[in-house]
Amino acid sequence: MLALVGLAKNTGKTETLAALLREHAAAGRPVGVTSIGRDGEERDVIDARIEKPRVQLQAGDLVASTSSLLRASGVAHERLSRTGVRTPLGEVVLARMTKPGSVEVAGPSAAADLRSVGEEMLLLGAEQALLDGAIDRRAASSPAVADGLVMATGAILGEDIEDVVRATSEAVDVVRLPAADDGSERDGDDAHVALARRLVLGADPGEIAALLSEHPQARTLSVDGALGEPFLEGLLAARRERAGRELRIVVADPTKVFLTRRGVRWFQRQGVSIEVRRTIALKAITVNPVAPQSHRFDSAQLRELIAAAVPDDIPVLDVLDESYLALAK
Amino acid sequence: MPDPAGTGGADANGAGPASGAGPRVDLARVKPYADHLGDGIVQFSFTLPVPYGLAARKAAQEWAAKMGFEHPEVVHYQELTDGYTYFVMFGESNQTVDYASLSDEGFDVEYMSEEEIEDFAGRQIGRPIVVVGAATGTDTHSVGIDAMLNLKGFHGHHGLEGYKAFQTHNLGSQVPNSVLVSRAIDLDADAILVSQTVTQQNLHIANLTELVEMVEAEGRRKQMILTCGGPRVSNELAKELGFDAGFSKGTYPHHVASFIVRELAARNGTGHGAPVSDSPSAGAGADG
Repeated sequence: MLALVGLAKNTGKTETLAALLREHAAAGRPVGVTSIGRDGEERDVIDARIEKPRVQLQAGDLVASTSSLLRASGVAHERLSRTGVRTPLGEVVLARMTKPGSVEVAGPSAAADLRSVGEEMLLLGAEQALLDGAIDRRAASSPAVADGLVMATGAILGEDIEDVVRATSEAVDVVRLPAADDGSERDGDDAHVALARRLVLGADPGEIAALLSEHPQARTLSVDGALGEPFLEGLLAARRERAGRELRIVVADPTKVFLTRRGVRWFQRQGVSIEVRRTIALKAITVNPVAPQSHRFDSAQLRELIAAAVPDDIPVLDVLDESYLALAK
Repeated sequence: MPDPAGTGGADANGAGPASGAGPRVDLARVKPYADHLGDGIVQFSFTLPVPYGLAARKAAQEWAAKMGFEHPEVVHYQELTDGYTYFVMFGESNQTVDYASLSDEGFDVEYMSEEEIEDFAGRQIGRPIVVVGAATGTDTHSVGIDAMLNLKGFHGHHGLEGYKAFQTHNLGSQVPNSVLVSRAIDLDADAILVSQTVTQQNLHIANLTELVEMVEAEGRRKQMILTCGGPRVSNELAKELGFDAGFSKGTYPHHVASFIVRELAARNGTGHGAPVSDSPSAGAGADG
C-alpha cells in the first residue's frame, strides 16, 4: 500500500498518481486507487482557474470512490460492494473498471477507513493499492496505514527556490525521524516519563516546568498522540532554567509530529530530539516546478537542490520531465 | 409555465409530478420542459460583447448551437450599452440526468425542524450531544460560530445552545488547533464545529487540515464528527480538507443540528441517519 502525500495543494500529487498508473497500465498490472480527499476533478475546488489532471484507469483496475462520482464519470464499471464509509460526497463503494477511462475518486476521509479499503482492494486482486492524499494531509502515510510514501513538493511552497528546498528538506526530516531504540521507554525507569495528553496539547509553560522539576532524571519523554510545536517550545523554555539537559521525545510515528515554524534539526540543536516507534519508508520525492497562476523554476535545478538537501537514498523526480519519461521506459 | 399535473413538484419516491393524467416522468432521465414533458426546451439569457445587429444575432445562434442546443431561437435581443448586446433565447436540449439515483445518494441530509431534531435526538441518541466549536488559528471572526452555537442564533433561529439535545461549548476565536482538540477530548465531544474564512492562501487551508490531522494523531477521528463552516466552504472542499461536512452561506443552526444528530445516529447504527441507500441501478455501472 503506497501513500501519496503533498506538502501543499498543487504540488503534483495527482500527476504523480497518473504517472504511477501509466506504469502499472504499461506493465499490465491491476491496481487499486482511492483518495483521502478528492481526485480527478476537472477544476480546483479552491481556485477554479486551475485545471486538474484526470485519473485514468484501465479495465480490471479497482477503485474506491462514491457511487455518484463513478456514475458521473460515464465509464463502465462493476460495483462490487458498499463500504459503509460516509463522506460529504456520498458513501464510498468498491468497483472494478470494466472499460478504461478517467474517473473522479473520493474515498474514505479517515485513515483507519483508508487502510481497510486499501486492504480490501488488495484482496480483490490489486497488485498495489495507491492512496492519494489531499492538500497537505499526511494521515495516509502513517505506517499504521501505508507501507511506503511518495512525497510531492513544488514551486507552490515559495517564490524563492531556496525556501522550497528548505521546506521540503524539513518535511523530509519529519518523515524520516529515526526509530527509538527498544527499551528506552521501560516503565519504572526514572529516565522515562509518559506524558499526559492534556499536558502535551495544552502546552502550559508552568505545567511543563513542573513536570521537569518533578522528574529531574527524565531523559526520555513519550507521547501517545499529537506532538505540537507549542509543547516543544515550552520544553525548551523550562529546560533553559534547569541548565540544559538533553531530552528525547518518542512519538508513535512521524504523522503525529506537527511542526510549523521550526524544523526537527533546529530542535535537535537545542538539545531536544524526536524519535518514533514506527518509521515511514519514503520511496521517492516528486517535484512540480510550476506554481499555478504564479511562478516556475527550472525542473533540473530544483531536483538537484532538493537531492542535495535530503539523504542520498531518496530519488527526486519530476514525472512530467523528459528525464523521468525516459527512465520510465 | 404549465404544471404537468397540478402537483407542484417531484418527490424522491418515484411517484413523480405526473402521476394521474398525462405522461409519467422518467426520474432516471429527467430533462427540462416548457410546453409539454420531455420537450427539453430551455430559456436562457446572456450578453455578448459585440455591437447590436444581425451579425450579433447570428453569433448568439451559433454560440447556442455550439452549446449543444437544437433549434436555437433568439426571441429577444437589445443593445445593452455601446458594443454589448443582450439576448433571450430558446433552445432544445437532449441531455438528461438520473434524478432517481441522485436523490438516493448518501448524505443528501434531510433537514429537520428544531422540534423534529429534539424528538429524533431523544429517541435515537438519548443523551446530551456534546458539540465544541471555535474559530481556529488566526481567524478572529467568531460571528459564524456564535450564530450556530449561541442561544441568540440569528434570523430568529436560535443556536444549538438553545436545544435540549445539545450541550455546547463555544471556545471563541483564535483558538489553536491543539487547544481545541484537547478540550474536545476532555469534554468527550461528539462533534467539533470550526469556522474559518477560507481564502486561496495556504494558511487558512493548512489550519483546517491540521485540525483533522491532529484528531487523527490523537486516534479520535472515528469518534468525532468534524464539521467546518465559512463563506466558501462546500461539501467538495470539506471532503478535501477531511471534514465530515461543510456548511456555507445560508446555513442555519438547525441545518448543522440535523446533520450532527443524523450522522451520530448512523455511526451508532441506531437508525436511519444520513441515508446511504443503494441506487436502483446498483451494480449496473454506467455504459461507456
